[in-house]
Amino acid sequence: MTIDASVVHPAIETVQHQTSIEKHLAQEKSRALRKRITNRLLAAGFGVFVLPVWYAATAFEWVHALIIPSPVDTFFAAGRVMSADYFLANAWVTISEILWGFGLGLASGVVFGVAVAMFDSVRATIYPYLVALQAPPKIVLAPIFITWFGFDEPSKIAIAVVMSFFPMFLNTLTGLSSVDPNAVKLMRSLTCGRWQTFRYLLLPNALPIMMTGVKLCWTLAVLGVIVGEFVGASAGIGYLIYAMNFQLDIAGVFALIILLSLFTVIVYQLIEWAEAKIIFWKQV
Amino acid sequence: MTDALIEGNHLTKVYGTATGPLVALADVSFAIEEGEFISLVGPSGCGKSTLLSILGGLEERSEGDVALDGEDLDRPRTDIGMMFQTSVLFPWRTVRQNVRLPGIVLGLDAKEQAQKCEELLDLVGLNGFGDRYPSELSGGMRQRVALARLLAHGPRVLLMDEPFGALDEFTRETMNLELLRIWEKTGKTVVFVTHNIGESVFLSDRVFVMTPRPGRLAGTIDVDLPRPRSAQMMRDPRYSELVFEIRGMLGIDH
Repeated sequence: MTIDASVVHPAIETVQHQTSIEKHLAQEKSRALRKRITNRLLAAGFGVFVLPVWYAATAFEWVHALIIPSPVDTFFAAGRVMSADYFLANAWVTISEILWGFGLGLASGVVFGVAVAMFDSVRATIYPYLVALQAPPKIVLAPIFITWFGFDEPSKIAIAVVMSFFPMFLNTLTGLSSVDPNAVKLMRSLTCGRWQTFRYLLLPNALPIMMTGVKLCWTLAVLGVIVGEFVGASAGIGYLIYAMNFQLDIAGVFALIILLSLFTVIVYQLIEWAEAKIIFWKQV
Repeated sequence: MTDALIEGNHLTKVYGTATGPLVALADVSFAIEEGEFISLVGPSGCGKSTLLSILGGLEERSEGDVALDGEDLDRPRTDIGMMFQTSVLFPWRTVRQNVRLPGIVLGLDAKEQAQKCEELLDLVGLNGFGDRYPSELSGGMRQRVALARLLAHGPRVLLMDEPFGALDEFTRETMNLELLRIWEKTGKTVVFVTHNIGESVFLSDRVFVMTPRPGRLAGTIDVDLPRPRSAQMMRDPRYSELVFEIRGMLGIDH
């Protein structure tokens, strides 16, 4: 009796094939990880390279300390500023202004974006005005808003909203409009009305573009609040920066700018983290 | 003609364009029986997709009548299903969630639909792929999902707009055989748009041959090839005869 090799063989081959696939997958994974680590190291390495240059520039007085303070001075200034009794109260003013401005800018952008995308009559009525309002640089509104809403938080929030509204609005509108015509036909053929089409197709389809809007909205809200605090305020990080600059405490100014950037970047990273969760299907 | 499921009389569709009116469909009349497999074949601009959209109630006609079961077809109906050249699967939904979509938006019984979904995945050969996302599937597999979704809410009439037109030749042939197998099982009425003459003959009971500028129904070919059909049938001399008859009607025999 002979054993038919072709019967036994494929099974073994399949197993071997399977393990070799897994090996390849593992290799792929470790390659991707190595690439990520390399990229991080490159970024960190560049920072490490910049610091000594910065230090040398100040230590050898290539630039005057009033123009660029040394990294050591900046570091100690950060400690000094953060432990000062005025810091937390001022930081909180700015953070709450930014969060309010961001939240309201985001919400109004989404609401107007949805309204303009979903109702032709709304589009016809207000779209030209929304675009026209976009034309002047919004910073010119800052003094007016201070006059209207006073020296305290509301005027800063208003500027932040005006600045962060438009990208959110436009990205919502663009997202809702960038849809496969066949997908719309499919929903219509299933006798779906406006809101079913919105819920099951248009909104999820718009989320990737809307998330880009959220990120723009965030950075512009920060910008809006700081600009507002420069123009006229009695509290806040922008106000402190302005005051310290006036007192020629440049190291303090640098420290505040770095702290503000850190805060902005950390929240930005949080938004990106949320983005990856929300639009999971866009990840590779 | 009186017991036809779908009846169109003197259908005309004119689009206003920047360069003047464009006649997409000119005086097209036809009747389709329940359970028939009909292909609309012709070159680009012959109005076949326009005709399909009108049958789906997605587009208004300029003139003429069209009715399903004697009821005017002037809006989308749940007993007519549509499938497109792209699978139009929603990437944020799994295969199963995509197939369940028609049942969800139409508010059908969830339990029944869940069971039906599994049967349909079986039917299209995607058992075990229910939890995958569309991005993980090949083009052919995506069209299989689209086919399952097309059948999910149990439409009587299937309108298919070049559903395998974007697939490679090998996958297309497999999908044609699959479609015939499913059609024979379910007994649906199918209107299938294609520009592939061989495909139209292979699949259909009757082929509606359409010519462009303006879009007209040049004639109807009865495909008297036996069923069930297999790939072997393409060797049948009758198959070639029919293909060449259609080529003649389209004026592409030089």
